[in-house]
Amino acid sequence: MTLVHSPVPDPAPPPSSLLLDAYRTCESLPVVGGLFTRGKHEAQALLALIVAAVIDELDLTAIVRDRLHAEAIEAVIARIDLVGLANEVIDGVDLPAIIRASSTSITADVMTDVRTQGERADDAVSGFVDRVLGRRQGLRDRQP
Amino acid sequence: MTVSHDTTARPAGVVSRSVAALIDLCVVSALLALLYLGLALAGLALNPGSFRFPALAVVFTGAVGFGAAVLYLASCWSVSGCTVGAVAMGLRVVGRRSARMKPPVALLRAAACVVFPLGLAWVALDRRRRSLQDILFGSQVIYVRPS
Repeated sequence: MTLVHSPVPDPAPPPSSLLLDAYRTCESLPVVGGLFTRGKHEAQALLALIVAAVIDELDLTAIVRDRLHAEAIEAVIARIDLVGLANEVIDGVDLPAIIRASSTSITADVMTDVRTQGERADDAVSGFVDRVLGRRQGLRDRQP
Repeated sequence: MTVSHDTTARPAGVVSRSVAALIDLCVVSALLALLYLGLALAGLALNPGSFRFPALAVVFTGAVGFGAAVLYLASCWSVSGCTVGAVAMGLRVVGRRSARMKPPVALLRAAACVVFPLGLAWVALDRRRRSLQDILFGSQVIYVRPS
């Protein structure tokens, strides 16, 4: 059996502090390790609740309105190349293909409608002539 | 007698065929106009100093118009069975024994249609929706519907 090693080196381990290493060691203890793990999960849930409550209390719109100056917003907008952005968006949309597809569909619908109307007019004329000549209707549609 | 084309196709009526014939008349008129324009341009290229639009005799115009119409109809019928008007109205001209008319028969039928276009009116009276030209040459005009 041949072991194939990846040429890509292993990623660097995440930065860890001494305190974090000590907590992980405590989690791996045989009897009390479960308590540490459960405590960590409960602390995370509590922290999420606190953050959500703080965000609910904050009025972000008012903060932006009061703290952010109009000049700063205008400077940010001025830094964006809106024309270039619009050109990039337009280039990404295949407008000729969209127009071609829609016009083809409209033309096909119109042609189908014209043909159907012509066929109905043919049947109407045939029915009228059949009535005038006293013929049974539908006889003319039979093939020889 | 064996019929190789689709025998379930319905024969076309007088309205569709008349509209198709009108469209074909417009096409032939456009062809004649192009021919006249080409003649005028040729005259301009050969004699630019004393150019005048050519005045055509009635007999010449009639002969060229007859020839153009017969050639147009016969070539369309023998190649695809469809003229421009037939394509627009969803029709096809088929022969007696095959889906395409033979060129000599198509030529004769085209000449008959150009000489006596009123033969189309018989479609309204005939039980099988045949014109006088259809009866004479054994042809049939059917509806073509995309499957």
